[in-house]
Amino acid sequence: MSPDLPEPSQRNIYREDGGLADGLRRRDPLAMEVLYDRLGRQAFGLAYRILGDGPSAEDVVQEALLTVWRQADRIDAARGRLNSFVMTLVHHKAIDALRVKRGQQARQVPVDFAEVEKVGADFSDRVLQSIAGGEVREALAKLPEEQRRPIEMAYYEGLTHLEIAGALGLPLGTVKSRLRLGLEKMRAALRSGSGHELRRS
Amino acid sequence: MNCDEVEELLGAYALDALPGDLWADVSAHLAGCSKHPEATELRAVAGALAFAAPEAQPSAALKSRLMDAVRADSAPPTEAPKRVGLLNRMKQLTSQRAIPYALAGALAVALIAVVLTNLDSGDSNRPGRATVSLSGEDNAAAAVYELEDGIIVVDAAGLKPLDTAHTYQLWSITSGQPSSLGLIGTAPNGEALAVVRAELKDIEFLAVTVEPAGGSIAPTTDPVLEGTA
Repeated sequence: MSPDLPEPSQRNIYREDGGLADGLRRRDPLAMEVLYDRLGRQAFGLAYRILGDGPSAEDVVQEALLTVWRQADRIDAARGRLNSFVMTLVHHKAIDALRVKRGQQARQVPVDFAEVEKVGADFSDRVLQSIAGGEVREALAKLPEEQRRPIEMAYYEGLTHLEIAGALGLPLGTVKSRLRLGLEKMRAALRSGSGHELRRS
Repeated sequence: MNCDEVEELLGAYALDALPGDLWADVSAHLAGCSKHPEATELRAVAGALAFAAPEAQPSAALKSRLMDAVRADSAPPTEAPKRVGLLNRMKQLTSQRAIPYALAGALAVALIAVVLTNLDSGDSNRPGRATVSLSGEDNAAAAVYELEDGIIVVDAAGLKPLDTAHTYQLWSITSGQPSSLGLIGTAPNGEALAVVRAELKDIEFLAVTVEPAGGSIAPTTDPVLEGTA
């Protein structure tokens, strides 16, 4: 008794974040299907980049999306932050899984929609504008190796500043300042890049 | 922690690259201090790294697994009580008889009242026969009553119709041991009526689960209906 394929018009109401979040809050499975179709490859790509194995990465994506489904009443995504929320969840769950795999403690960093929302401000909207262009990837790639590597170790490998310092044989102070400097350069690159995007649109 | 220390840690904080206690210290400082406006932006930049990983194609099975789980979990997010696995529930039952009674709640009382009223009007011999109400999510509910000694009737409504690969199965659980009372078929409107040979007085707990067609030896899924006898 597989359900009929939804009409394109039914999917259309979920094209905008506001409609999609409404659908999730109403517990409409079609809304989740649309969310998966929109973000599944991106989410799996992130989890796979972190975990390096397909089955674990798929488990993480499923767990993250089910969390969204179960916490749908807390989502208030009228302004394009649903993607960020989902990807933040995927990231956290993937890093926790990686740390457990390595026999380390999972991190005690909370993640909920309110946090993502708070981080949003209008800057995040502008960052989001640029994501489609792969500008984040480019901004990261353009960093000097000595800044890019610690950032990648923190974000994709879930290491703390102490662990990064140990692995790279650097003083802790150097790692702290390289993490910050790298992020600031990315911020500047994304600002100019997304400003460009905004002018074009 | 002072402003200088926080400034020094902002990059690592934005990337969640701090041990939990240190992360919480920075977070607490930022919540009460307006001198670090860049903290939010740095966190947004770090968050955007999620989109820097190359997209990749998961197996087709992921989507069907996800959607199966979503459909199986379609109760309202805040109102649904946390599901307790049947095995756990059985342990609870044997150790703490009070909990299921509490869970049965007002719905049980209301249903018993309805059933007794119906029985009263139908057959004056029946009042006084033991009655059990089962409840589940999405308004699924059932009344179970003794037709005569050793024969019980299960009158259920609100059960989702199942595909041909699955069936509802009724279980009695006594001293933590489930035993099958048989399979239950549903009408398209979600109603079901089953007559089963069992002594209601010997049963502590009744549950209905979804099982593969043909039924199972023991429950393999969480109950869709449950109640204390």
